[in-house]
Amino acid sequence: MGNIQAGIDYKMHPDVVPKPDHKSNWDPNYGFSSKREEKVMIATEEELHSAKISLQDRDYCAHKLLDYRKCYRENFPWIMNCGHEKHTYLNCEYDDSTNSEFICLIQLCLSS
Amino acid sequence: MALLKPDLLFSITRRSIGSSQVLGAYWNKDWKPGPYPRTEEERVAAAKKYGLMKEEYIPIPDDGDGAGDYPQFKPYSVQGRDPHYPWDFPEYRRNFNETMHENFNMYTEEKWNVEMKPRWPMRYMLAAFLTVMGGTYYLATIGKYSAFLPVMPKHLPAPGVTHYKYQQNQN
Repeated sequence: MGNIQAGIDYKMHPDVVPKPDHKSNWDPNYGFSSKREEKVMIATEEELHSAKISLQDRDYCAHKLLDYRKCYRENFPWIMNCGHEKHTYLNCEYDDSTNSEFICLIQLCLSS
Repeated sequence: MALLKPDLLFSITRRSIGSSQVLGAYWNKDWKPGPYPRTEEERVAAAKKYGLMKEEYIPIPDDGDGAGDYPQFKPYSVQGRDPHYPWDFPEYRRNFNETMHENFNMYTEEKWNVEMKPRWPMRYMLAAFLTVMGGTYYLATIGKYSAFLPVMPKHLPAPGVTHYKYQQNQN
């Protein structure tokens, strides 16, 4: 999915192509006419800690994960009833991942 | 019962078991070595006890780490001995009544081979190791960003860090 193209781009233009494991150096509002919307963390640290959510899952969709875990625990073993919560959580994860930078440059091009 | 002739029985017992030190030991304390031999007579008696000749019997030095009158000799490994010889105990390549090294359990077949001759000299092997490992490290270093998924790291909330969506504010 563009792995080799990304590598070639990075080797050819290391000053503009960001490294995948580094933070972007660009101004987050660069190229936007107005300010971008900020992501809001809804679940609190205490909630996540008491629910024993693992560290890599404490992202901007963690409140939906909490809902899903709660439903799972209440409905077990009839976990089919939590399909809605699971779907909501996974959709949120997908949107969050496409909102991470670089992939969404495509979306930006399409929308403009 | 022709096999169990008295002289055959006698020769078997006399040669293998009857003349050995094994029958003199009954319990583990009987296997303990005696005290370090001081006089010539004690040395001769100890050599006879371990089935060695007087000239080749050298006790382990009594420097506080010794083992009484137990004989000291150059260690040999089980791996270094002839595998085709009909040993009495093929798993240890050892004959019955043969005096064992003090640390024999260090030199069994799956452990240390003191007589090992490396196929290549040590510095050749070190150079080969460093070449392969260094070459691999070099290749991994120059190829680190040669292909990667074009995605930035996942946004995880942290104090003092602001992450943005790709939607603009409507106001």
